[in-house]
Amino acid sequence: MDFGLTKDQELIRKSIREFFEKECPKEKIRELKTDKKGYDPKMWKKLADLGYMGLVIPEEYSGAEGSFLDLMIVMEEIGRNIVPGPFFTTVCQSAPAIEKFGTPVQKKNLLKKIAEKGEITSYAVNEAKADYSAADIQLAATPQGDGFVLNGVKLFVPYANSATHLLVAGRTKKSENPEEGVTLFLVDAKSKGIEIEEIPTAARDMKCEVRFANVGVSKENVVGEIDKGWQIVDYVLQYGAVLKSAEMSGGVQAALDIATRYAKERYQFGKPIGSFQSLQHRLVNMLTEVDGLKNLVYEAAWYMDQGKPDTMLNSMVKVKANNVYHRVCYDAVYIHGAIGWTEEMDISLYLLRSKANENDCGANGVHKERIAMELDRYEPLFLSMRA
Amino acid sequence: MDFKFDDKAEELRKKIREFVKDNIPTDIKMGLFVDEHYDEDWAFAMETAKKLSDIGWLTMSWPKEHCGMGASVWERVVMGEESGYWGIPGMGMGVSGTAWVGPSLMLFGTEEQKKKYLPKIASGEDDGVWCTGYSEPDSGSDLASLQCSAKRVGDEYIINGQKVWNSAGHRARWCWLACRTDPNAKRKHDGISLIIVDLQSPGVTIRPIPNIIGAHVFNELFFKDVHVPAENLVGKENNGWAQLMQALAFERGVAISSSAMTRRMLDELIHYAKETGAFAKPEIRHKLVDLAIDIKTLRILAMEAAWKVAKGEMVIHEPSRDKALNDLILEKVGQIGTEIIGAFAQVDPLEKNAGLQRLRGLMEWIYFSTPGMWAAAGTTDTNRNIVAQFGLGLPRGY
Repeated sequence: MDFGLTKDQELIRKSIREFFEKECPKEKIRELKTDKKGYDPKMWKKLADLGYMGLVIPEEYSGAEGSFLDLMIVMEEIGRNIVPGPFFTTVCQSAPAIEKFGTPVQKKNLLKKIAEKGEITSYAVNEAKADYSAADIQLAATPQGDGFVLNGVKLFVPYANSATHLLVAGRTKKSENPEEGVTLFLVDAKSKGIEIEEIPTAARDMKCEVRFANVGVSKENVVGEIDKGWQIVDYVLQYGAVLKSAEMSGGVQAALDIATRYAKERYQFGKPIGSFQSLQHRLVNMLTEVDGLKNLVYEAAWYMDQGKPDTMLNSMVKVKANNVYHRVCYDAVYIHGAIGWTEEMDISLYLLRSKANENDCGANGVHKERIAMELDRYEPLFLSMRA
Repeated sequence: MDFKFDDKAEELRKKIREFVKDNIPTDIKMGLFVDEHYDEDWAFAMETAKKLSDIGWLTMSWPKEHCGMGASVWERVVMGEESGYWGIPGMGMGVSGTAWVGPSLMLFGTEEQKKKYLPKIASGEDDGVWCTGYSEPDSGSDLASLQCSAKRVGDEYIINGQKVWNSAGHRARWCWLACRTDPNAKRKHDGISLIIVDLQSPGVTIRPIPNIIGAHVFNELFFKDVHVPAENLVGKENNGWAQLMQALAFERGVAISSSAMTRRMLDELIHYAKETGAFAKPEIRHKLVDLAIDIKTLRILAMEAAWKVAKGEMVIHEPSRDKALNDLILEKVGQIGTEIIGAFAQVDPLEKNAGLQRLRGLMEWIYFSTPGMWAAAGTTDTNRNIVAQFGLGLPRGY
């Protein structure tokens, strides 16, 4: 057992943390709320130049072929500094899907451009239910000529307005089991018939509604097998759930630090409010949750890194992250008193992301059912002793 | 990073399971302090302790010169997990013996004390069973205010006073006693010493305190002019508080075995809920899922603390953090467990062979034991105070 990072991983953490501290101060995050793109292309270019877009992309596609744990560290730091941008949807969702299931041509076209130029690909899966269920995927993908025609609406697609490509889950076949008949398409975001509109989210973290009206896609742009796309969606869900949880873990580590610092600096009754037991115990409960989430994320990420994903643990981690993110952000705001409930305080930026984080890669309902399914199959250890 | 145990530790796990198969009934009435109540359960616990001692597992983490095996932190962790999951009784030598009396003696004891007491604990025999005397009627969370006095007269200490909540006191040969040796010290913390008392000494009276369900797990101890040889002082006179804090840190390191014990409870509950059909109800299975996540969290926190110990780091607030979380999880196990058992949860868990008990009464036993566990080794909130001070650097507020 070893909870520690290697020297190289420590270095990644240090470099990326310093980068974000310098390039993405909180004032910039506030400015980006009203920006049309919602991210800073200059910072994005620097990140790409430093090799972060291609961090886990194979060397043959100009990536650094880093490990899942490397990527986890970057996501933790993105969460700590709440860095707005299309990193998650491009690097943590679209790229891994293409790398694992894409054709050589798709890989060459897409992965290389992500790694070298930081081109943005957005993952478009949510629709009217937006609940990461197979039944939610209804966007019609009808065969026509040598390809397909897409008709439907995708919701909460991150940074779709800046993307060169969209990775779209569509329905190619209606069947009893909604997991059958899903197909993934790599779509040029500038295709005729695509309309993109910003959804006004509370955090203004650039989520889009993308409408498809008779959008043509060639057969070459099918990712994986026709009708068998659910396994890709499921792969991305698990891959993304661990990394989204790492981001949320970084976020609550920062929120706890901010709240603890405030409790030491703020005086009432002639004493720092952090000397009062009611606040101390609240902070201690936060610390326990933060430490617990952090280490669970590490464990799940390590299994991913080993190529042996622990599917039950992945879902547990996301449920934990959802619960802890809410709890810690709420309590951190509370510890500030009324001023915590203002736009002015940094802690507000963390709380504002809670609902997006909670629903990205699956809310509790989805993951609890996944865990329950595993528990249902599980043969308890104690039975092994019974003759 | 690496989240697997090393081969040596996994080898040990296999051997422990072989031992369990041969020696521990699968329907053992496991739980919290359950062994101290019934004579036959206590006898079985001591019989098991002897077997564990013969293999060397009872005190495996102690160095070889003190009858241990010099086991690694990770082997000890595996032992803790397995004993928790399978409910191996007799590991504690009266709760205190193996967990904190032995380790504290190795840190602070004289050579003579180590030679005399460590082999007795490691032997798994009745003479190696200990209880601990900390709390008093007027000194609970404010332990440093304790008044039980030890007056130095020639080569002896004369002990006078009272202790309460002495787990296994009625089974123990020795008491690990915190007492006041300097009543005039400026700070209350400065006049305390740790002294070993033979409970067979004249002037010692032990009275049972029936717990909330009438189980006899703890006691009150009375000392009236009890003569103790001065050589029984542990460490330095009046330096007992620092030693006691170290002993309490050992005592609070319960999270490894407790997370495994609660996982066993969860496994039993899930199995039961599947058989009764309760698992098919979303409101039930989601509670079990929540509990599974909590237990997994406690386990990973306990592992992280063990990793720090293995690296040679001091862990100060971590055991308290994990103890407080464990307290919450125990409540949940009892609550959800008794909900799933339903009306059968009102059957007395102490009753043996009560036909209407479900899951051997484990769930109601946990349910009724939890408030006691909250108080043991420092209350939940006392432990939170420690985390606030040492984990977050907040100023002491009391």
